[in-house]
Amino acid sequence: MIEPPRPYTLVAELTYRCPLRCVYCSNPVDFHRSRTELSTDEWRRVFSEAAELGVVQLHLSGGEPVLRDDLVELIQHARACDLYTNLITGGTLLDEDKLRRFREAGLDHIQLSIQGAAREIAETIAGVRSHRKKLDVARLIREAGFPLTLNVVIHRLNIAEVPELIALASRLGADRLELANTQFYAWAAENRRALMPTREQYDRAEEIAREATAKYRGTLEIAFVQNDYLSGEPKPCMGGWGRSYMCINPTGEVMPCHAAAVIPGLRFDSVRDGALGKIWRDSPAMNAFRGDDWMMEPCASCARKEIDFGGCRCQAFMLAGNAAEADPICRLSPHHGIVESMRNSAADDPLIYRDTKASRELSKSIRSS
Amino acid sequence: MSTDDAWRPRLVARARLKFDPIAKQELILFPEAALALNETGAAIVRLCDGARSIDEIVDLLSKNYDNAERDALMREVMDFLDTIRARGLLQ
Repeated sequence: MIEPPRPYTLVAELTYRCPLRCVYCSNPVDFHRSRTELSTDEWRRVFSEAAELGVVQLHLSGGEPVLRDDLVELIQHARACDLYTNLITGGTLLDEDKLRRFREAGLDHIQLSIQGAAREIAETIAGVRSHRKKLDVARLIREAGFPLTLNVVIHRLNIAEVPELIALASRLGADRLELANTQFYAWAAENRRALMPTREQYDRAEEIAREATAKYRGTLEIAFVQNDYLSGEPKPCMGGWGRSYMCINPTGEVMPCHAAAVIPGLRFDSVRDGALGKIWRDSPAMNAFRGDDWMMEPCASCARKEIDFGGCRCQAFMLAGNAAEADPICRLSPHHGIVESMRNSAADDPLIYRDTKASRELSKSIRSS
Repeated sequence: MSTDDAWRPRLVARARLKFDPIAKQELILFPEAALALNETGAAIVRLCDGARSIDEIVDLLSKNYDNAERDALMREVMDFLDTIRARGLLQ
């Protein structure tokens, strides 16, 4: 047994319910199977235990966390535990009154998603009318005195808008803009061909972001999150499995990341059945890829294994069929050819929207395949 | 060194200091990560209130120093503040 490291970050997925239908959603494709959400008291207990373990950062996420009618109480408790508390929201359910109450409860920061710069593109991605409301809410967030990160998931349909998105973030007074290239898991994996940008589009967007990063330094921080397929570099996913980060889903299962349920055979323990500290330390899922004993070649003897941790376990499973393989994003992976062919597979496929109906249909096809 | 005379450093709005009882050190918390500070770093950041100049911060930290020691500290403070500013945590 490896001595467990200290967790610093907890992502609390308070609910999978969401009014948006974004085609890149990171919630599990079979989210419709998710049952009773943790109660207010259960989440409060989790936040207290997380703080005792060493967690300093809490992301209140979803689905749409604002759908929880106990959000003010959860924020109050998180701040009572001295957690840096960030709300990750689509924004469409926010108004001045809610923002004021979140502020009084001690919320530290808001991360607001938008889906594009032009309304038509944004709403094609979100699958519902939402863009104007989001822009209004961005202003209300700033007026309420919150620091604001604007998050935009970038893909083939909006990558040409990167200059407009930067201008928009600046105009809205955001502190930070995340140009987060699509990570191809869950719903984004279902829509991969439709969302994959071309090499030319990606390189151009990266160049524009780099120039803007220098231009806006000191006023707007710009983060360009890589597209794995086009960057060619395996990412140090989650800073290593079970090392500093944990995610708890709406029913209380503790996971090393929000995508890990895609790996077959992992058993996730729930905070309903035991203390968070014990789960973090002992649960089979948290230990499955801790340390480096699980590594195969070329990772096991690689000089970069403590830098990128072999990339992403979920991606290794999805692309190589074995979560202990090197992430095929790495050029040294024997399966790297899959990544090369997928990178060139952009196509105008019809978009699959994230909603309960599609979740049921896709779950059926997963079962039968 | 890019640090200027007129600068009155303070943490950006999205960052705050927290004493971490586990590692017994100050952390700068912000949405994406946390940055651990050593004792000197923590002492400097605590003085960055948006009102004090760098000269004033160094004065407070070097009360019993001679000139050579004060100059060395000034260089250290300016390097440190530039590093934290480059991380986007000071303005």
